[in-house]
Amino acid sequence: MHAIRASVALVAAAAAVLTAACAPSATPVTTGGSAAPAAAGEKTVLTLGSWRTEDLAMWEDEILPAFEKSHPNISVKFAATNTNEYNAAIQSQVDGGTGPDLITCRPYDVNRSWIKKGYFEKLDGKPMLDSFEPLALDPWSDDAGSRYCLPTAAVLAGFYYNKDIFAELGLQVPTTQDEFLAVLKKIKDNGKYTPLAVGSSESWQLAYNGLYSIGPVYWKGEEGRQGLIKGTKKVTDPDFQKAFDAFAAWKPYLPKGFESLKYPDMTQLFTLGKAAILPDGSWNINQVAVDGLNVGVFGPPTDVPGGDRYLQEMPDMAIGISAASKNKAAAEEFLAWTATPEFLELYVNKLPGFFSMAKQPVTYTNALAQSFADLKNGAKLTPRLGLDRLSAGTPPFDDEVWRVLQLMLNEDLSTQKATEELQKGLASWYTPQQ
Amino acid sequence: MRTVPGPPPSGPGTLLRFERHVLNRAHYRYFLAFTLPALVVYVVFAALPLVNSIWYSLYDTDSGVARFVGLENYVYLFTNPTTSERFWNALTNNLEFFAIHLLVEVPLGLLLAALLTSGRLRRSTGLYRTLLFIPTTLSVVIVGFVWRLIINPLWGLVDFPLLGDERTALPTISLMSVWQYVGIPMIFLYAALLAVPNDVLEAARVEGSGAWSTFWRVKFPLIAPQFGLIAILTYIWTFNGFDLVFALNGSAPGPNYSTDILGTLFYRTFFGSSGQLSDLDLGATVASVIFLIILIVTAAYFGLLHRRLRSYEL
Repeated sequence: MHAIRASVALVAAAAAVLTAACAPSATPVTTGGSAAPAAAGEKTVLTLGSWRTEDLAMWEDEILPAFEKSHPNISVKFAATNTNEYNAAIQSQVDGGTGPDLITCRPYDVNRSWIKKGYFEKLDGKPMLDSFEPLALDPWSDDAGSRYCLPTAAVLAGFYYNKDIFAELGLQVPTTQDEFLAVLKKIKDNGKYTPLAVGSSESWQLAYNGLYSIGPVYWKGEEGRQGLIKGTKKVTDPDFQKAFDAFAAWKPYLPKGFESLKYPDMTQLFTLGKAAILPDGSWNINQVAVDGLNVGVFGPPTDVPGGDRYLQEMPDMAIGISAASKNKAAAEEFLAWTATPEFLELYVNKLPGFFSMAKQPVTYTNALAQSFADLKNGAKLTPRLGLDRLSAGTPPFDDEVWRVLQLMLNEDLSTQKATEELQKGLASWYTPQQ
Repeated sequence: MRTVPGPPPSGPGTLLRFERHVLNRAHYRYFLAFTLPALVVYVVFAALPLVNSIWYSLYDTDSGVARFVGLENYVYLFTNPTTSERFWNALTNNLEFFAIHLLVEVPLGLLLAALLTSGRLRRSTGLYRTLLFIPTTLSVVIVGFVWRLIINPLWGLVDFPLLGDERTALPTISLMSVWQYVGIPMIFLYAALLAVPNDVLEAARVEGSGAWSTFWRVKFPLIAPQFGLIAILTYIWTFNGFDLVFALNGSAPGPNYSTDILGTLFYRTFFGSSGQLSDLDLGATVASVIFLIILIVTAAYFGLLHRRLRSYEL
């Protein structure tokens, strides 16, 4: 009988443990407590969670050694999860009581929900915040304005163009929408090159590198974006309709079979010299600037000659201290270091295409990155339209924008119908729009 | 619930003897002791999480405190205009995904199994069997990537954007999956065909039956019960499907959600996607609905159909 009793006990114990672990508890994880003081000579090991698996070598070989040189008592481990799985991974880790000491923060709503769940230590009053303008800190704050993450980098969006093709066809870099369409038409009429390297299979980039890049000039950047958030403007307003029209005007200039081309196909089409212009984000600089390709970059065209220039600057990542961390003092030391020029220069130059959000100017060694940074001068900056608050319900505004933009290209959905659908979806749950 | 499939092959009498023999008190103890380890693993890693997810689906935790809401999450899933549209769309797509598997993969598997056992391949039978089964062992990520390149309109074999058109995207993905997994029904049917005794086939030949009629009138009736099992396994497998669609199109599978199936809908709801926040309760609700969809059909199959499938005594 012993065998049975032991087995029964095992089942009961396992069941009890599992039930306790899985009980629906939405209370924030508060285990961990304050920093455990490291004994003299003993290294505190911090983990830094990130979604950028591709950056592992850079952190391990360049950035972390620089930090550990000036902070011999702390060693940092870079622990990355695939981009698509990052949110889910962090949530299940932190909810389960584990997770990294330092969490890389997604901007806006995802982070706001993480703040609400108590994932982060509050940073209010810490001197490291002084290195940043309030605008740079807002994407990682709660409704009361408390700060939780320290900005690391932002990304920009614009148009890469093949200088050799432009020279061959005698084209000038366009500055207004009319000039832009004229350039596209000339390339198409010549017939040798695809004017725009755009595929619609991955709908996110239609929004992020398309509409959200060329649209702000029509909805006047922050004015239109805040208007949607506050409910004083509607997606069906003429300003927004004009932006969707400008996007729809791209359709005749896309490559054949664009409906099933993915993001890497677009990059390839451009880098093989088969397409003249690639609307893309600054993060793709390394992939675009291949050997032997003469690449330049220009910003979204203006509405009228001499009109205001707008540029999408998207806060991309920040770092926060996990509330469950056992090494908070060390984590804070590391975080403060990420606000120093030493870190920022190292980071943005190791990762061309990412731009510092700190007050002190940073010089970029990569020429293309520097010309991207130059686009910021004199331009009105605005983040992506749909990510702040408008996507925190069902249907998420941002996802809906992706979907209707894809339909506009694939199925010729009209601007009128597209914006009406978006407004209807938003009004169905977003109180300021009701 | 009775899930033990049928009596052992040697007839109904054996089961009674078997039960009477094993279930006397002395043996019962060992019976229990030996099954408990497997039972523990099953309970802890399959049954409990399942029950737990059903339990989750009856709660609302969005406000920060778990609140019992009964079937409210289910009502929301089926009646909220946005959520229900996505759900019915995913269910319809899943049915199509299943139908294509059933109508293409199973006949193809039968054809391949028949060819393998026909004797015409002579010594290369083993080679073909291996080659045809290899795709099944490949990672879906590789299969998705290779096929995507093959049908890429820029540098692939077809001009038409198969994966970019709402009408062709789901059939295309389904056929990729059929290509990958045709080895499964093939190997089932191959094994069944090998088990057909030679004396029966010889008798047919002596009676003057040709290859065609031998296959349809002798071999096919003998392997017919396999189709029920293959169909139900395909059903379970396709309604739990997720990986190939996710590998090709991510968690909001386009274009316009035309390749969204229940698995990706669940993933998007439970874990969130780039623009969508995760909703644990609603995700658990979707998971429970998937479970019920599979449970009802599987139970109906085993309860009603499976025991009526006639196996010929040989």
